[in-house]
Amino acid sequence: MAADVHREFLEFTGFEKNEIPEYLPLWRKASEKLGLSGADISFAMEQWIPRHFDVKLKGVRKMIGAWIREAIDLTRTHEYKEQGMKSVYGILPAHATFYYAFKMADPDNVFVSFPDIHLVYVLNAFFHRLNPYLDGAEKAGMLYGCRHCALNKTRFWSRRSELIASPSVSWLWSFVCDEAAKTDEFIHDSCAPDWKTLVTTMPHDQPLGTREDEVDERVEYLAAQMKDSFESVQQHIGLKVPEEKIKAASDMLWLGYAPKLEELLQLVARDPQPLSGEEVYFFAEPLQIPFNTGIETMEKALDILIGEVKERVAKGEGILPKGAPKLMSILTPAANPWIVKMFEECGVGVPFPEGLMPSKKELQPSRFEDPYMAAAESWLKYSMTVNVGYKCEIICEKIETYGVDGMLLGFLDFDRWLGSDHRLLSKMVEEKTGVPAFYIEGDIWEDRDYSPEALRTRIETVASVVKMRKS
Amino acid sequence: MNSSARVLMSEFAKDVVAWPEMLKKEKTKGTKLVGFTGRYIPEELIDAAGARSYLICRGGEPEPPDAVLPYMLRFMSPFARAQIGYHLLGIDPVVPMLDLIVAQCTDCHMARLADMFEYFKLPTMKVGVPSDWYKPISQDYYCRGLAKLKRRLEEMTGNSITDERLRASIEGFNEIRNTLGKINELRKKNPPPIGGYDFIRLNHFSFCGDVAEVAGKLENIHESIRKEGGAFSEKAPRVLLTGHLVAMGDYVVLNLIENAGAVIAAEFLDEGIRYPQWNVPTDGDLVKNLAETYYLQRTPPSRSNYAWSQRIKQMEQIIADFHIDGVVWYQLSFDELYSLESSLIAGRMKQMRIPFLKLESSYEYSREAMGPLSTRVESFVESLKKR
Repeated sequence: MAADVHREFLEFTGFEKNEIPEYLPLWRKASEKLGLSGADISFAMEQWIPRHFDVKLKGVRKMIGAWIREAIDLTRTHEYKEQGMKSVYGILPAHATFYYAFKMADPDNVFVSFPDIHLVYVLNAFFHRLNPYLDGAEKAGMLYGCRHCALNKTRFWSRRSELIASPSVSWLWSFVCDEAAKTDEFIHDSCAPDWKTLVTTMPHDQPLGTREDEVDERVEYLAAQMKDSFESVQQHIGLKVPEEKIKAASDMLWLGYAPKLEELLQLVARDPQPLSGEEVYFFAEPLQIPFNTGIETMEKALDILIGEVKERVAKGEGILPKGAPKLMSILTPAANPWIVKMFEECGVGVPFPEGLMPSKKELQPSRFEDPYMAAAESWLKYSMTVNVGYKCEIICEKIETYGVDGMLLGFLDFDRWLGSDHRLLSKMVEEKTGVPAFYIEGDIWEDRDYSPEALRTRIETVASVVKMRKS
Repeated sequence: MNSSARVLMSEFAKDVVAWPEMLKKEKTKGTKLVGFTGRYIPEELIDAAGARSYLICRGGEPEPPDAVLPYMLRFMSPFARAQIGYHLLGIDPVVPMLDLIVAQCTDCHMARLADMFEYFKLPTMKVGVPSDWYKPISQDYYCRGLAKLKRRLEEMTGNSITDERLRASIEGFNEIRNTLGKINELRKKNPPPIGGYDFIRLNHFSFCGDVAEVAGKLENIHESIRKEGGAFSEKAPRVLLTGHLVAMGDYVVLNLIENAGAVIAAEFLDEGIRYPQWNVPTDGDLVKNLAETYYLQRTPPSRSNYAWSQRIKQMEQIIADFHIDGVVWYQLSFDELYSLESSLIAGRMKQMRIPFLKLESSYEYSREAMGPLSTRVESFVESLKKR
């Protein structure tokens, strides 16, 4: 183990020299709270991260640093609360724009975070140390045998174990599964009576194939739900957020960051594939998840990475041979970084996360001027949130646009909504496009039940089939 | 249950077995058949349209939930999977005849079931039921859903659902609920004249038949057990059965509990049962009355947001009113919200010093599964007897 493993880790993850004096004591304290020992940090730095991430690239190291910065911040919620700061938590999937708008409205006095997803990514993808959180949650009532979601377990346990404080309000976008909202209720009823939740939700009741964004009644209902909750959150935290802040947040994400991400996706689509889908995913997430520390660090990392990847493209360098098949996944199982690596070891890339790539329709301007109607409309264009018939139509369009060789479904076995249509989708997509679609039962967030040993044969088979189909 | 009530119950059971054939005959005469799922679709509307209603709520067999696995996630509730599974196996006599399935879209399991009906080309209408029931905007959403259902039923049957017809239907179902309520009240006695196995089956039977005839049969049974009492021992421990639901045909656990020497004196279930405490008012805006009764007034099911504390209070009241000695939580595998709630209730029961047993089923009642299940139930009942 290195003499000062904490310092070395910060250097390794792209913190600048002048930042280290400020961040080193914070990181020491944060890693202890997170349950990371010196040996864990050493293992991450020397083995786990280099094995699964392209750390030759400065942009990748700085990306990891941005996530670490956010994790440090997350461990300070008790401190912030004592200082009188207001906090708004949330979960995936949501419009991160609203959360960034809270932050922009009063940067020094508002804290925003989706704590569970940050913890799951940081702890599992970079340290492979999420299990204590899951075990803790299971012993405290979120029982192992029921296949509860690891995000919900992590949120529960991080509060129950006092890692994080109760927020001023937890604004839950409960548009996908039921368990998310009920986990907040579980937190409130079992261990944290001061945990307040606002739920924004809508039933899954559209006929298959309905283009939900074109149903005005539905858009209006969702817009009213969003507005109601957004205003309620403002009341909870005693802050008026001007509408221009929503626009500023939206512009920051969709006019500032998203085009750069799009450039990266276009580069990754080149042959040979210059960068793993694993890294791409972590760069895509700030569009979905608010960073309380700001998006700037991630954006700088993205700028650097784009430059580095362009160099690779110019030299014709790739992580896979030219002509290697490419799969599109619904969501990349990025918290278990060995999965994408295993595909790549088998000669197949997984560069395209369908759920994070905008469809043609999503890139079109809104029909509505009203920010809530526009937000609702854009939400109802998003494949992850609509009925399975429409979802299939959107996926098929992306398969054609990106010319992928196969569709990868599954890895959401715990999600009674997002995961429950994947078997059906695999049939529908294959019927409609002729592109092979593969369903793999697994878990995107944790790997206790679906270890590398358990999945290797399946992944090798999928890779073999897709290569044979392409040859 | 006494012997004369047993005879009445057996006759009722025969009629229920013959109900699919009756429906077929009625369909040939032009009556529309409307299936529905869950607890939020008012049968009153279907009846008032001159159609026959059919509750899709079967369970207790292992093969139907597995039949849908090529299309559905393995970790979905076996109850939801079974409702389409019977059809896929070709052993559902009614679903293929239905002119419409009205599917409540409450939680992920039931909404995905609705997708499956639609995918397999069954005539389906989805009715969204928002989980944030305390918001006026959500109440309005459900109310509009019922208005759409009313129009759809009118178009399908060609019958106008007038206030007069709807009022008559509501009164008919109120009568059924009233009689079940009277029977349920008798269960506060010690010993209760009817146990949970029979009471839950009576509830199931009450969904199968002409409304007035069903009400009459229930009244006869009520009169019989009111006068003659039942067959349980005074010393039999009194159990509250709670959880998601007992589906039609899923009676193994009920039998195990009562054969072990306890009596199920009360239930607290979210589906597959009627709610006699909440009749639908027959004055004013009747569709609004249906919406308010079904959505707002009844105890919210587990999946509704902010429901659990209210539900625990309700359960505590039942424990007091029905002199409960122990609680059996009956849950289906992978029913994730009920699993969470069970942890809270287990904690509360511990505080109240009420013995609590959690049972979980995937409708797998093989010999291998039954051994440990029987042992757990028998041990629990024995422990209640010793208290």
